[in-house]
Amino acid sequence: MALLEAENLTKTFRRPEKDPGLKGSFKHLIQRRFTTMTAVDRVSLSIEAGEAVAYVGPNGAGKSTTIKLLTGIVEPTSGEVRVGGIVPHRNRIANSRQIGVLFGQRTQLWWDLPVRESLALLRDMYDLTPDQYRRRLQRFEEVLGLDELLPVLARKLSLGQRMRADLACALLHDPKIVYLDEPTIGLDIAVKDRVREFLRQLKAEGTTIILTTHDLGDIEDTCERIVIIDGGRIIYDGSLAQVKDEYARERRVHLQLAEDLPLDVLALRFPQALVTAGETHREFTVAFDKADLTAGAILAGVAQTAEILEVRIDEPAIEDVVRKVYAGELTLSETAS
Amino acid sequence: MRAYATMARLSMRTTFAYRQAYALGTAASCLGLVASLALWSALLSGGAQLGGFTLTEMKGYMLVTFATNWLGNAVGEWSLANRIRDGQVAIDLVRPIATQRLMFAQVAGGFPVEVLIIGGAAAGFVLLAGPVPAPQRPLLLSVSLLLVIPLRFGIGFLTALVVFWTENFHGVAWARNAVSQLLSGSLVPLALMPQWLQVTAAVLPFASLTSSPALIYLGKVDTAGALGLVGLQIFWTVAIWFGAQLAFRGASRQVTVHGG
Repeated sequence: MALLEAENLTKTFRRPEKDPGLKGSFKHLIQRRFTTMTAVDRVSLSIEAGEAVAYVGPNGAGKSTTIKLLTGIVEPTSGEVRVGGIVPHRNRIANSRQIGVLFGQRTQLWWDLPVRESLALLRDMYDLTPDQYRRRLQRFEEVLGLDELLPVLARKLSLGQRMRADLACALLHDPKIVYLDEPTIGLDIAVKDRVREFLRQLKAEGTTIILTTHDLGDIEDTCERIVIIDGGRIIYDGSLAQVKDEYARERRVHLQLAEDLPLDVLALRFPQALVTAGETHREFTVAFDKADLTAGAILAGVAQTAEILEVRIDEPAIEDVVRKVYAGELTLSETAS
Repeated sequence: MRAYATMARLSMRTTFAYRQAYALGTAASCLGLVASLALWSALLSGGAQLGGFTLTEMKGYMLVTFATNWLGNAVGEWSLANRIRDGQVAIDLVRPIATQRLMFAQVAGGFPVEVLIIGGAAAGFVLLAGPVPAPQRPLLLSVSLLLVIPLRFGIGFLTALVVFWTENFHGVAWARNAVSQLLSGSLVPLALMPQWLQVTAAVLPFASLTSSPALIYLGKVDTAGALGLVGLQIFWTVAIWFGAQLAFRGASRQVTVHGG
């Protein structure tokens, strides 16, 4: 059996239907009307131990609600979920010992305490031995540079520092499975890189990771599986490489030539590609499907007519695919696995 | 278990870290004490009695009121309510702890600072206002005073849970405070109130917060009566603790998902 099994998980909310303004509020007091919103709609997932899964979707797609269902914070309206054989919302305490949770938008540190004390409190909650605790802190110092943050009051931490401390909180008890809800939100590039490096190491150590994010840079090196959710439903579940292979086939070669060249010359030479002119008459961009052409063929072809000064090749990122899916430009054909 | 002890210890440290805030709070409540001293001195001058209370007895009553208003109150239910309102409680739900016990540990950690404040104020009060009656049945009184802490916590926790539905604490807290002030006897002794209010107070838990320890202190009840009052305090403490536990279980199902 997989470490995490969810079947037809559904969560609906009642939202009061109010007309705008004070009048609307009064009317609602007398005549209560509600609309039922389905935040998560029959989501089924099966995640094996050691997998790293990216859970992505546009704002309001139901990502955080799914995480809250999987962690047991929220009870499902219908459907089943089991993590390591435990039903999280029925057996919260047993479940909490095997999971680590990070909500990027929310800290788990105690506001008025130095980071060290929050960690000590968690140490006692999870009954860690002094030796286990020391080893974990040592590890966090290596990968997160935690030591300098230990004496600082939580409310005095910068956002990046806070996220590093929060990661330590989520992982202190060495959980089997980690849920990270937007772990890089609001961070600058340097801290982001640090967090991503940490995730890679976590994965290498065999921790099961479920990661939601809007920043697809977070997942490219960490996750091999991607689940895309929209409107509360899973619209794709499969390998990240496969998504890129099938839906991100476009390559762009940017060329700077030594002399002016009419656009037609290049366009005629590469009929399968789309050639556009750059800012000057010496700059061109050739966009092509990697199934039809290669960058090498483009360069060889251009070199026959003109001397090439500069070349830049754009590889598509998973971001482009997901952006197209969000925008409704791309429908992912099948749900793998 | 260790986590709760650690929580209490950390909470105690936090209260000491905020000593300026507590100094200010103490000053404000001392001002209240001085004001009611002036009021009762005027009302009970020349050996007058009201509801069976002499001025000296009333001074003792004021001291107990001061003490019970501080006991279990240094950390305050606001911090509990805020944890619920801003969704921080969601994080408590993924930890191997009972939220209610952890919050009680936090409140209990305020005890040393409360004792300091009460002790200091009592000494100042006696210097300023002259002698107060010696406490009757000190052992029962201590038990009664200590019971105020879990009872006040239970009532505060239960009130804070309302935030799960209302998503706001102000109105709830004001309403509860108004009722609690009146029916606990901390505004005026219950004996001075109309009969129907006294009956209402008798069936509600608030009197156990102030009136009961005050009556034991002044020896307004005999030993059997004092035991009865403490018994009632225990009953309310236990009943509200378990009631709050049930309410919390129900309320945490109510966790709505703010922000997707």
